[in-house]
Amino acid sequence: MFGYLIRIALLSLRRNPVLSTLLIAAIALGVAVSTAFVTVYYVYSGNPIPSKSESLFYVQMDSWDPNRPYSRRRPELPPEQITYRDMQGIMASDIPTYHSGMFVAGLTIHPPDAGQRPFRERARMCFADFFPMFEVPFAYGGGWGRESDRGPEPVVVIDAATNDRVFGGGDSVGKTLRIEDRVFTVAGVLAPWRPSPRYYDPHNGPNQKPEAIYIPFEFVREFEVYPGGNHLIWDDSDGNTFEEHLTSEGVWIQMWVQLDTPEQRQAYADFLDAYVMEQKKLGRFGRPLNNRLLDVMQWLRHREVVPEEATGMLVISLLFLLVCAVNLIGILLGKFLARAPEVGVRRALGASRTSVFLQHIVECQLIGVIGGLFGLGLSALVLRLINRLLDNSGQFGLDLPMVAAGIGLSLVAGLVAGLYPAWRVCRVAPAIHLKLQ
Amino acid sequence: MELGPIFRALMHNPTRFWLITVEVALTLAIVVNCVAIILDRRELLTRPSGLDEPNLVVVTTQPFVDDFTEEGFIDTVREEDLRRLRAVPGVRAAAAIDYLPLAGGGSITSLAAAEDDSESDGHPAPYFVVGLGALDALGVELVAGRDHIEADLRPGYGEPENLIVTQAFADRIYPDGDALGKSLVDTDNDVVFGYIIGIIREMHNAWPRSSIAGLAMLRPGPAQDPREIRYMVRTEPGALDAVFNQLEPTVLAVNADRIITVRPIEEYKRRYFDDEIVLVKVLTVLAVLLVAVTSLGIIGLTSFSVTQRTREIGTRRALGATRSAVLRYFVIEIWVITGIGLALGALLTYALNYALAHLAGAPSIDWPLIAAGIALLWGIGLVSALAPAFRATLVPPVVTTRSV
Repeated sequence: MFGYLIRIALLSLRRNPVLSTLLIAAIALGVAVSTAFVTVYYVYSGNPIPSKSESLFYVQMDSWDPNRPYSRRRPELPPEQITYRDMQGIMASDIPTYHSGMFVAGLTIHPPDAGQRPFRERARMCFADFFPMFEVPFAYGGGWGRESDRGPEPVVVIDAATNDRVFGGGDSVGKTLRIEDRVFTVAGVLAPWRPSPRYYDPHNGPNQKPEAIYIPFEFVREFEVYPGGNHLIWDDSDGNTFEEHLTSEGVWIQMWVQLDTPEQRQAYADFLDAYVMEQKKLGRFGRPLNNRLLDVMQWLRHREVVPEEATGMLVISLLFLLVCAVNLIGILLGKFLARAPEVGVRRALGASRTSVFLQHIVECQLIGVIGGLFGLGLSALVLRLINRLLDNSGQFGLDLPMVAAGIGLSLVAGLVAGLYPAWRVCRVAPAIHLKLQ
Repeated sequence: MELGPIFRALMHNPTRFWLITVEVALTLAIVVNCVAIILDRRELLTRPSGLDEPNLVVVTTQPFVDDFTEEGFIDTVREEDLRRLRAVPGVRAAAAIDYLPLAGGGSITSLAAAEDDSESDGHPAPYFVVGLGALDALGVELVAGRDHIEADLRPGYGEPENLIVTQAFADRIYPDGDALGKSLVDTDNDVVFGYIIGIIREMHNAWPRSSIAGLAMLRPGPAQDPREIRYMVRTEPGALDAVFNQLEPTVLAVNADRIITVRPIEEYKRRYFDDEIVLVKVLTVLAVLLVAVTSLGIIGLTSFSVTQRTREIGTRRALGATRSAVLRYFVIEIWVITGIGLALGALLTYALNYALAHLAGAPSIDWPLIAAGIALLWGIGLVSALAPAFRATLVPPVVTTRSV
């Protein structure tokens, strides 16, 4: 029965190819635009690490000015990042499965090929746990061991682009690379990795791609690396020397921990409380105890990483699809009613209203699906264009859920467009049209 | 007029009436909201920054040897860099600067008027640390007081500095217009931070998107950061392209142990405004597509209606109606339908604007914009209906006698 309806619908579409093309184009246009912006919204608001977003926590502690809250607008909030002293203090804990303080900096890379001039790259200074904690994929090798954090040992993880640029690609594990004025050994080369949003550091661009190189955090001392990202301070403890900078009350470090069980979470929260109470005895942390552990999605919501533009475009593009569908109502009505005499004959020969209705709805859905498939192709192009315009290294793309969403949208559009015309045509009275024949 | 019969005929078969009404109303709402957002963002992109944007190019040098941490070394290199940069033909001025206006990254502190003890948090004071000749190198206009001189550079640690501020900044802290010569107090420790020695007409700070874009302060420097030394180079009008490629070799010739980046300020601005630029493009394309789709819809519906009513038209013609009367009938009809649709659309526009303002921070809509949208869509409705309406006038009266 269903196959028969589809065959009839295809025949009907073939009877008037110009009109059918127009119908399909209208749906395709609407689906292309709406799917593209549904995807943009989905990528911006999505869960970048579904497998463990509920066991990764961002650590906040209120080390801010005793006389003034960190945020005037929302005084109940602690600072968004932590100090170097406090990171050292809480990295001593062995409660978390994984934990790492981190920050972004600009470092100079000296390519081994003498013909290439040195260049600056965005580097993440972090601990060994960074890689297993965020499930960072490797093409070759891997992260470094925890023992390399102490010392620290000169080991580096580089991304694919840097590997191509410096070593001409391939398995570069074990090769050496001069960074600032030390020679580092390559421990691993990243496979393509594009978490979106870049949840581990939304402060410094939630839609940026990950950094090009990764080295042990403690090189911060040897290289005297100042933070290349957000850095805020409330007193004047950030003096002239690097040591003063490190021990200052300035907040510039992002701290992540992985806590897998409720017991672990409780133990770590208690540990943080105890740490702060201890610091209070030393005259620091003049504000009320206010530690926070937000999981990935809570943290992203708090940071409001979805740009307002993406929400606006989502609404506008869905309305655009609606206009396309309303447009189709008129065309389909004309098409179906022109067929009224034929329908009259079918009705007179015993076809029920339901079967006439069904036949026409199936035709609309067929138009919807064909239009939707073209629309999906178009929307992939639209997304490529947006990627190019935003220069975001391919952040947006159609994945399986978005293809399903696109098909879903086209079916809904087909239904919106077809319901009324199909209803009208099934109400055709058989007698009138027989008389006219 | 035939308004009565037109209206009764419409109500006799209201489907087309409703379809066009709904479509026109939705289109008006979407297009007007798109245009409001486009205008809002374009205003942001095109408002004057006070800087000589088309002729500014930035040279950033990032040393990678330890020489630069030795006392005096930076000064020597910087002086030589500036001397040679200024000597490049086509370069009008060059000066050292720590961060860049319009680029989205910089420093900010908070300051208050000397006698002001009402507002404990002070006013936001985004600043740049600049060397001599910065006003000319930025292309900003001094309207009161004086430029920095040699004696202003590098006061002792914690000593008050001689500051040049924008008019907007001066007016914000000293609303009576008597800022020149007054002091500014650091709200963190109630110490005098500096004195206002000069006022410039306008200059955007590092965050041109923000509500405080016009607040900027030039501190005497230059900054002593051994990791990054930056120059603002201003070329003669139109000479930027010719000068551009000479800048890197010029500073490399002074000292090659650094990474050099040369980039026009407009490129920094473009990167900062990436989202706005893309949004404006996307919305423009969508608005145009939408109007086209709606226009096609009206053409289709009117053609369908003409076909359906061929016999009626023929009857009218046979009874003596002229061709222009037939044309008039269809034109007035579409005029009435779109008119009603647009009236509904105006309400819908406000509703959508309300939603978008809440969801997406869209700007609120003024009535002239809606009026313009109504005029545009009314015109497009008429034009779209003309071709099918003209086809209606070609129906011969003889149709009535056939086919029954």
